[in-house]
Amino acid sequence: MTSVASDRAPFSWLRVRTVVRRHGYVLFRSPHRWFDIAFWPVFDVLLWGSLGAFVAQENDVSRAATPYLLAGIMLFHVLFQSQIAVATGFMEETWTRNILNVMTTPLRESEYVVGLAAMGLLKLVAAMGTVSLTALVFYSFGLAEIGWGLVPVVGVLLLVGWCTAMLVIGLLLRYGQSAEILAWATTFTILSVSGVFNPVDSIPGVIQPIAKVLPTTYAFSAARQLLDGGPVPWADLGWATLGALVLAALSMFYVLRMLRLFRARGYVTRYS
Amino acid sequence: MGNVLDAQGLVKAFAKVRAVDGVDLTLSAGERVALLGPNGAGKTTTLLMLLGAITPDAGSITLVGHRLPRGRSAAMGEVGFVAGYLPLPDRLRVSEALSIFAGFYGMGRKAGDAAVERGLARFEITHLADRMCMELSSGQRTLVGIVKAILHGPQLLVLDEPTASLDPDVAYRVRTGLLDVAANDGTALLVTSHNMAEVERLCERVVFLAAGRVVADGSPGEVADAFGHGDLEGVFLHLAGTVVAEDQLEDLGGLTDDEVPR
Repeated sequence: MTSVASDRAPFSWLRVRTVVRRHGYVLFRSPHRWFDIAFWPVFDVLLWGSLGAFVAQENDVSRAATPYLLAGIMLFHVLFQSQIAVATGFMEETWTRNILNVMTTPLRESEYVVGLAAMGLLKLVAAMGTVSLTALVFYSFGLAEIGWGLVPVVGVLLLVGWCTAMLVIGLLLRYGQSAEILAWATTFTILSVSGVFNPVDSIPGVIQPIAKVLPTTYAFSAARQLLDGGPVPWADLGWATLGALVLAALSMFYVLRMLRLFRARGYVTRYS
Repeated sequence: MGNVLDAQGLVKAFAKVRAVDGVDLTLSAGERVALLGPNGAGKTTTLLMLLGAITPDAGSITLVGHRLPRGRSAAMGEVGFVAGYLPLPDRLRVSEALSIFAGFYGMGRKAGDAAVERGLARFEITHLADRMCMELSSGQRTLVGIVKAILHGPQLLVLDEPTASLDPDVAYRVRTGLLDVAANDGTALLVTSHNMAEVERLCERVVFLAAGRVVADGSPGEVADAFGHGDLEGVFLHLAGTVVAEDQLEDLGGLTDDEVPR
């Protein structure tokens, strides 16, 4: 015991599974948590699907028909669910003042984040099941109409969702619970400036430069082109992937920096 | 016997305030040590640095053979932490919450559940297994917190105010339980407390902090003698800036020896 080991504990999938189990208990014990994966998706599909149906009735040549709006909102839910599951997973620890308990176990930060992301994937599957079923039942629309090109689009949106969650966690570590509102605000900001339902050139000119640097803009654009029956838009998918990877690097850098600051300034006492 | 803790030259400042100012602290295996001092002395900051939750500005920490911060995860596999003020996740049942922590300590479901069962039985709180954590009283919460902290058979148990705001009978159960863990498992204890009489029962060594520095280190009797007081309460009041005569202590509400539950 007197000899000093500076070894880093190996990554443990058992601890990752335990994080998933911990948040699984929370999900099943908290009916209000089902709003994110059962209620909002249904309301969103009904809202945008009905709007699309109305516009299509009024103007036969409008591109803003039901499939475009439904595809947009369904893909937006990939982004939203992957982001909100991870961000609220971390917030759950702050709400229950459990951060210090967690920090004083062998659980590593990487294991914790992977566990939250895995739990997020499970919630995403549930939420996408809800939106898909709603769209199919009420509007006879399925995302499968987009074809295999959908896979990279979903992959990019998933990665951007996780990256946004990392940014939110970084802000929570730095600014405390007052930053919680950003968990929802960031995704809806992306919704408004990424051209989820519409091409970028229909966004106000001053905002377009912001839209053009967001990987989500290219992902949604690719999805629309695929829905039009066009060839796989490799250029858009390439830009989307590149942007997502850059965002991943930036968000990891930011959250690790905020974690160092969290430990250096003793912010853990905010939650104990 | 080797050291389970070896901290040297710990310094931590928040803004312009030096909360901890050059603290050295070592604990041998199985040793029971109290970290004492008035509010703002730097006890909790020191504990949180020792646990890797706060990064020191200077100094080194070796915890059960692992150098922090790099070895934090490995070290925490040998350390348990309990704080009287810290609840367990409120939407989980006690058995679920404990099972989750067993998983964080690297125990599989079967081994973890067995450890949970043993821990609850040891502290005679098996009846709490299916209660929601949010429904526990502060005393029950502390007992469950101790079970959480010993699930993995740690070499060192760190306790921050474990009996704060507990009734004397529950405080007694906590204290006897901790003494049992120390005696039978060989677990070292590092405790902070404001109850000096309790510390005299629980710990064989006390380390007093004042203004972030170690000002006394020895057995309770040695430290009391060094400050010219009959017991630790007098030392505490002395360091807190309220120097009183021994015969005035009782008037201030300090427990006499006979009033302490054993």
